Amino acid sequence: MFGDAVAGLRRNGLMVAAATATIAVALAVAGAGFLVSANLVHVAAILESQVEVVGFLRRDTSAAQQQRVLAAVQAVPGVRSAVIVSRGEALRRLQRTFTSMASINSALPSNPLPDSIEVRVAEARDVRAVAQALQQLDGVDEVTYGALVVDRLVALTRAVRISGIALAGLLAVAALLIIVNTIRLTIEARRQEIEIMTLVGATPGFVRGPFILEGALQGAGAALLSTIVITGGYAALASQASASLPFLPVLAPAMVLPQSLALVWLLGIAVGIAGSEIGLRRHLAT
Amino acid sequence: MIHFDGVGKRFGTGVVALQDVTVRIDPGEFVFLVGPTGSGKSTFLELIQRIERPTAGRITVDGTEVSALPSAQVPFLRRRLGVVFQEFKLLPDRSVFENVAFALRVTETDPVEIGPRVQWALDTVGMASRAGDLPARLSGGEQQRVGIARAIVTRPRVVLADEPTGNLDPEAAWEIMHLLSAINLRGTTVLVTTHNHTLVDILRRRVIELHAGRVVRDEARGLYQTAS
Repeated sequence: MFGDAVAGLRRNGLMVAAATATIAVALAVAGAGFLVSANLVHVAAILESQVEVVGFLRRDTSAAQQQRVLAAVQAVPGVRSAVIVSRGEALRRLQRTFTSMASINSALPSNPLPDSIEVRVAEARDVRAVAQALQQLDGVDEVTYGALVVDRLVALTRAVRISGIALAGLLAVAALLIIVNTIRLTIEARRQEIEIMTLVGATPGFVRGPFILEGALQGAGAALLSTIVITGGYAALASQASASLPFLPVLAPAMVLPQSLALVWLLGIAVGIAGSEIGLRRHLAT
Repeated sequence: MIHFDGVGKRFGTGVVALQDVTVRIDPGEFVFLVGPTGSGKSTFLELIQRIERPTAGRITVDGTEVSALPSAQVPFLRRRLGVVFQEFKLLPDRSVFENVAFALRVTETDPVEIGPRVQWALDTVGMASRAGDLPARLSGGEQQRVGIARAIVTRPRVVLADEPTGNLDPEAAWEIMHLLSAINLRGTTVLVTTHNHTLVDILRRRVIELHAGRVVRDEARGLYQTAS
C-alpha cells in the first residue's frame, strides 16, 4: 500500500507539489498565528506581573513591626511577593531613575521618603482587594496602586488574550479548510482512476488505503516545509527583536516553537487524512 | 445468467427509468440492447453492476441476487463482470500494459499472474505490440481494444459494453464488434447497448428494445427496428 501511495504521489507530481505548497503555506500561517498569539498572551502576563501595590509605612514603625507587617502581607490571598524597601533604597532608586536629581542629597536636609512595602500580586484583578487588606494593617500609613491604570491594564490584557487566542483559532480553522479543500481537489482530479477501480471490483478499503496514506504523506511533507519556515523565521525574528527592541518581551524559541510545531504536524497529518476521506466519500458510495 | 423480474427504477427526482422489466439472458448469449436516448439502456446496465438499485422487482446476475446484495459484497459481484465504456476510460498517464494490469492490481490478483494474463488479454485484442504506448498515441479503435482487454483480463462471466462503438468510425466499429463476437464465442455472455443500426442489422443477434423504460420488443436474430 505504501508503494501504491508513493507511486500515486510521483505520478501526479506537479499537482502534488502545488497542493503540498498550498498546504505548507496554510500550515505556516496557522503556526505563525499560534506564535503571535503565544507572544501576546506572554506580553499580557508580563504587564500584569508588574502591577504593584505600595504601602508606605509610618515613620515610627520599628524593624520588628515592619517584619510583622511583611509576614501579614505575605499571608494575604493573591499576593505573589512582598519586600520591604528602606527609605535609603527608595532615594537611590529615585536618583537612578532621574539622573538630573543625582545631587538631591546635598539639596535636602534629610531623606524625605518613608520606608515602604512593595507587593506584587499574582493576578492584576486582585490588586484592589490586596490594597484594601494592606490598608488595614497596623503600621501602614498610605497605600497606592494606580487604580485607573490597573483597571485599564486588566481590560487591555483580557482583550489581548482573547484576540490572541481568537487569531490562532481563526488561522487554524482557515488552514483546516484550505487543506481539506486542496486534498479534495487532488482526489477530484483522479476521479476517473477511482471510478475504474470501483467498477472493476476494488473494495472500498483497497481504494481508500493509498489515497489516505497519500493525504497523510502530503500533510507531513507540508508540515516539514512549514517547520523549516517557522523555525528559521521565528529564530531570526526573536534574535532581531531582542537585539533592536530589548524592551519587547519576545518568547524564546525553545519556549514556544515545540507547541507551534506540534500544532502544524497535527493539523497537517490529521487534516490530510480527513481531507482524503471527505474527498473519497462521494466516489465510494454504493 | 442475467434475470430481471418485474424490475422498476424510479430516481429520487421522480424520473422513471425502467418499469416492470422482465428479461432473461442465458449464459453465452450475445444481446443488443437498443432504444432511443433516455429509454433506460444505461440504467439497465447500471442495475446489473449495482451502481443503482432497483426500486421494484428482483435482479439476479450469475446466481447472485443483486438487488439484495450487501454493499460489502458489491466489489465481488463486479469482479465477475467486464465493462467497456463508450469513452474508453483509459488512464492517460499509464501505458497500455499498465491500463490492462490496473484491473488485476486493484482486485488484488497474485502479482505473478498479472504479466501472463495481461499478455493474453492484449494478444486477444491484437494490441500486444503496443503494450508500452500511452493511450494518447493510439487511435480511437485501438483505445477501445485496450478497453476491451481491460474488461476481459479478469476473465469475467459477462461483458457489458455501453455504446462501445459510439465514438468510432465505421471501420473501427466493425473491428470492435467482431472482437466482442469472438469473446462471446469463447462462452462469455455479452450485452451491448448501441445506436448503430448497421451493425445490429448485419449481425442479426438477439435484440431487446426499450422504450420509455419498458421492453417493447425482445427478438432472437432481430433487426435494429421492427421489420414492419
